[in-house]
Amino acid sequence: MATKVSSSPAFSSPALSPRPNPPGPSGRAVPKAKALAILNATKSPAPSVASTPGDGGMDLSEKMNDEVRRQFVIGGRLGEGTYATVYAGHYRHDPTSLVAIKKIKVNADFKDGIAMDAIREIKFLSELHHPNIISLHAVFSTKDQNLSLVLEHLPAGDLEGLWKNGSISYTSADIKAWSNMLAQAVWFCHENFVLHRDIKGNNVLIAADGTLKLADFGLARSFAEPGRPMTHQVITRFYRPLELLYGARHYGGCVDIWSMGIVIAELVIREFFLPSETDIQQVHMITEIFGTPTEETWPGVSMLPNYLPIGPSGFKHPLGTSYFMQRFPLLGADGVELLRGMLTVDPAKRFTANEVLRHSYWTNAPTPTKKEMLPKAGGGLKAMGEDLKRRGGEADTGRVDKVARKLDFASMVQ
Amino acid sequence: MSKPAHRAGGAPKAAVDSDICPVCKSSRYLNPNMKFLVNPECYHKMCESCVDRIFSHGPAPCPIAGCKRTLRKMRFREQTFEDLKVEREVDIRRRVAKVFNKREEDFETLKDYNDYLETVEEVTWNLILKIDVEATERRLRQFEEAQKAELNPNVARRETQSDSSAPSDASRVVLKKGATQRKALSASSGNTPNPYSSQDGTEDTGFTFRGLKKRTAPEPQKPFDPYSGWSVEPQFYILQDDYNVEWLTQSKNDIQHLAGGYNIKDFYSQALCEAFSGFGVFIEDEIVARDRQVSGDETLATQMAATAGTGAKDVRMDDVF
Repeated sequence: MATKVSSSPAFSSPALSPRPNPPGPSGRAVPKAKALAILNATKSPAPSVASTPGDGGMDLSEKMNDEVRRQFVIGGRLGEGTYATVYAGHYRHDPTSLVAIKKIKVNADFKDGIAMDAIREIKFLSELHHPNIISLHAVFSTKDQNLSLVLEHLPAGDLEGLWKNGSISYTSADIKAWSNMLAQAVWFCHENFVLHRDIKGNNVLIAADGTLKLADFGLARSFAEPGRPMTHQVITRFYRPLELLYGARHYGGCVDIWSMGIVIAELVIREFFLPSETDIQQVHMITEIFGTPTEETWPGVSMLPNYLPIGPSGFKHPLGTSYFMQRFPLLGADGVELLRGMLTVDPAKRFTANEVLRHSYWTNAPTPTKKEMLPKAGGGLKAMGEDLKRRGGEADTGRVDKVARKLDFASMVQ
Repeated sequence: MSKPAHRAGGAPKAAVDSDICPVCKSSRYLNPNMKFLVNPECYHKMCESCVDRIFSHGPAPCPIAGCKRTLRKMRFREQTFEDLKVEREVDIRRRVAKVFNKREEDFETLKDYNDYLETVEEVTWNLILKIDVEATERRLRQFEEAQKAELNPNVARRETQSDSSAPSDASRVVLKKGATQRKALSASSGNTPNPYSSQDGTEDTGFTFRGLKKRTAPEPQKPFDPYSGWSVEPQFYILQDDYNVEWLTQSKNDIQHLAGGYNIKDFYSQALCEAFSGFGVFIEDEIVARDRQVSGDETLATQMAATAGTGAKDVRMDDVF
């Protein structure tokens, strides 16, 4: 029991037993004590005796939890949202190994159990270990039954803050490097059968060394079995593909590829590519550029639940390569080809994550910038707190966003 | 050494001297804007108008009596130091330091570095005191070229190529004095034995220094790998394009699945991965590894577990829940 975590704060253990895959669907909430016991068992070997009298009446899981919690020192608050509060912190044994501690608030909607977002985040982050995915160091609960996620410390802001920051200039090689790191993260998720379902600029954080890290797995789930419907109310609207807007219940990794395409496009033009106020307007924005989908260009589109017949604005022709070349000159011809592959309205024809990475764009000139040479924003701790506290699917566009939410609330009361 | 003998007078006369051009004898009294220039070939001082007059039409011999050096206008400059001896020494030192540009970290030991510095100082003083100038200059040049060749092998290769065609050209046209021409000339008159060339036939670099670290060329850049070396190829099974399973046919042909972009191949891949991911995991080895970790031997345990596992990076893991 005296083992401390090794000096590297990575969440890994050599003594990882094979865990049986439970039958039935994944992503189901499990009682908390059990979940924590399993997760933390990978951290430190379980003691042979369960609960002995004289240890303050704590049972095994409480003791294990306590041990994990004592490894960290919680510091100042970085940010607070409706969903979570983010604190700075570090390992007790090494004050230089910084972490961010995301304390999930007890939510009124989830009286019996923990919020779905937290479950998803813990579940997938504890599985996925890749340099371009935020790493989860540990999970513990505090006395008031709040869950705390110990996450990697990422102080250099996010991708949206990067393109919004006018004082930073970057080149096409930098865009290629960032895009590639994002594409690798998405590819890795998909190879491990995880749909992120909320890829957007401010969920892509930047580490101190310039590495991009995909964060916020609050809406993630694993690939569905055939015939099993998934919700279409995922992904922040600007990044939502047409099939989700049309209410598709059976989709695959292609939804993340669309979002990734939009993120890369925004990185190039340094503004929102497809901004909209409503879902209908979002459909309009997409068809303005990519054309009205028809049964020829997208077989079966008219069978989707929320398919909109051609509206009063009439049939739109898709814009050609020349438009993209003009709008995204920094990508070059091969980059535009890749972008159009990612932003294909028919999800069946859209590139898969593997096809994206196999594209010649990455190996063609210019070579992607080395990550230590990439321009950095230095958004600081504050920005990181802002990013982590958000709930999945929430856009934050400043004041307008709050107004919209109020209006939403009113409409629900009616 | 620079001042002609006839001007070696008393101290008051020298002050007057410095205001009279030794070539045209015009004085500062008549021309207040007079500027004196020197040429680092011989360091003879003359006024600007003399330089213009004599050297404007190309190289010409130095007008000072007894000095036969050919000077060019381009190299005339104002002197920095009052004492021309100092001026000359600074010039020499600058030139030598440009060739001998090794630093302490280039040497194995401090003693080697000190030996090197001593050699450099010796060369410098040889040039300053005009001892053995010819030989020293030649060695300096050789060393410079050897250094250049080491830094950029392509330049050396290009030069040897042009050398092969050089002798015929060099005999006809006298080019500007360049490294190529000098090499070509020395090659054409190469039958004179070089006292500094080593016996075993290796190329002479003018100087050899003990304890000089071998310069390692920077690693050639590897082609960019968009996957950064990650691979998740299945190890225990081969994924087929299609599986004919009865209970899947309905979903496979369902228009909702097709239009929504649901990829049945992802399901095949996931199902097979989950079925086979227990392979290559040996629980008894992991228990040993874990026990070792408890006893504090963590690094070994990690290696054990890694080898006890699949032997490769197994990135596919099962559900926690």
